[in-house]
Amino acid sequence: MIKKLLTSPFGWILGIVLSIGICLGALFMGSVDHQTLMNTDIGSKILWDIRIPRVLLAFVIGASLSLSGVLIQSNVRNPLADPSLIGVSAGAALGAALMIVAAEFVGFETQYYIPIAAFVGGILATMTVLKLGRNDLPGGMALLILAGIAINVVAASLIGLLSYIATDSALRHITFWSLGSLASANYFWLALCSIALLIVCIWLPKQHRKLDAILLGQAEANTMGVDVKRLQIQSIILVALLASLAVSACGIIGFIGLVTPHIGRMLVGASHRYLLPLSFFLGGSLLVIADGMARTIIAPAELPIGIVTALIGAPVFIWLLVREGRRLQW
Amino acid sequence: MVMSLQGLSLQRNGKKVLDNISGELVGGKIIALLGPNGAGKSTLIQAMARLLECQGRIEMKGQALGEFSAEELAQNLAYLPQHSQLQFPLEVEEVLSLATLPFNVTRLQQRQQIKQVIADWGIESLANKDFRQLSGGEQQRCQIARTYLQLSNMVTEGRGQGIWLLDEPTSSLDLEHQQQLKTICTQAAKEGHCVVIVLHDLNQAFSLADEIWLLDKGKLRAQGKTSEVVTEELISDVFNVSVRRIEDNEGSIFVFS
Repeated sequence: MIKKLLTSPFGWILGIVLSIGICLGALFMGSVDHQTLMNTDIGSKILWDIRIPRVLLAFVIGASLSLSGVLIQSNVRNPLADPSLIGVSAGAALGAALMIVAAEFVGFETQYYIPIAAFVGGILATMTVLKLGRNDLPGGMALLILAGIAINVVAASLIGLLSYIATDSALRHITFWSLGSLASANYFWLALCSIALLIVCIWLPKQHRKLDAILLGQAEANTMGVDVKRLQIQSIILVALLASLAVSACGIIGFIGLVTPHIGRMLVGASHRYLLPLSFFLGGSLLVIADGMARTIIAPAELPIGIVTALIGAPVFIWLLVREGRRLQW
Repeated sequence: MVMSLQGLSLQRNGKKVLDNISGELVGGKIIALLGPNGAGKSTLIQAMARLLECQGRIEMKGQALGEFSAEELAQNLAYLPQHSQLQFPLEVEEVLSLATLPFNVTRLQQRQQIKQVIADWGIESLANKDFRQLSGGEQQRCQIARTYLQLSNMVTEGRGQGIWLLDEPTSSLDLEHQQQLKTICTQAAKEGHCVVIVLHDLNQAFSLADEIWLLDKGKLRAQGKTSEVVTEELISDVFNVSVRRIEDNEGSIFVFS
């Protein structure tokens, strides 16, 4: 299967995207002039310790956010939903902001604690949403969405409060973190995010027709042999795992989870048999490209990747809305 | 008997939506659920499909309905809701293919079955269209075809008599397709399935159903053979209209004034 995948057009595109991603940056690695540098310790360090983990992590996180987007949109049957809907991003951001401000007051090293705090925040927020949402009640999914909105509002106001009391450097740290960056990518995060993605990829192949059935409606899916409640809970837990790990590793990256599934649907329709693998590749490739742009536009400085994905994602999203509106005569 | 209902009751916001409903669904019969708006027809059919919980007991083929797994339920019962709410671009063929989800059907068999059901329902021109872009009537026909395909698979898989629950299936259909639905319902009953159909048209119910369950404010006001239980007085009382029943050799019709 892996051989089939790597020799398919997807495999070729993936190879090209990853290669471009590895070459791009303040130091362009494809240039002949740098061949000598590549033979030095510095060149090798840039390649193996910085570029490769960063580009691979970008792909894994892009794929994770994109699959999360497909899962959450299908489960709530709302094309405008994204992983932040269940409060995971807001919870993670609150956890990170709390850690940044606490570190300023207490004075400890935040490098490793911020991602851990973000992960705990993301999972706690999702658990609160699940508890408040009570998916076992009639109309439970609507309750779940409203609970997600409430948690987002609470987290946003608490982050505002933390920003208000934060010192200048902490405030700058919170802002930069909330815009997302893959600069701190390493093999630890790559391994962790890859394991989570692998778990989801093992779980997904048996669910694609069930997810199609849910698109028709909960009642239809229930009477077509789908245990809807169970599938929704499993999906939300996996989305929380993927999204909170992604947010922990590189901050908040918007629009990939929202826009990529739509681009996928425009290409292959809504059937999950094709949409899931396509979203995996599209999400991963888009984030590698966005990260490449973030590293090169103002090189040697770096743009936060959240700004790049939002600048690309927002116009695409508006275009999709207008197109969808015209087609369905809203 | 494929399903039995014993003392079903449900309250919403202090109002009794179902009030002590009991009855039996028998294979080979068509049962029409009639009643004014808010009488509890859709609620009752949803309770039969295990889509909502209520007091009382429902048994399917001698076993409590709650004990069936989601898959087992779908192998014995097909349900058509009043409205479709698809928000995503699924093609009609993809919607139809979901009917085989609870069964062990190969992709080749699935393709053949879909081809057959598309031909049976005369929806060849719609097969590759985005479901959302169809008219209300076309969507209704595709959904009826999907549930019928699910019902057909119950026979193929040797599950025997199934239950076909149809919630206002004729609401968006033109006369030709109402007639087609009538033929298919009769055929399903002949195959041994029990068809439960929510209708608003009394004459349609009279020409199609073997049995009528007349609901009013959550209560069963009448239940039994169509020709025996429904009288002018009862219809006038339940629907608050003036009505006359005219009989001839071909049956009876209701005329409203």
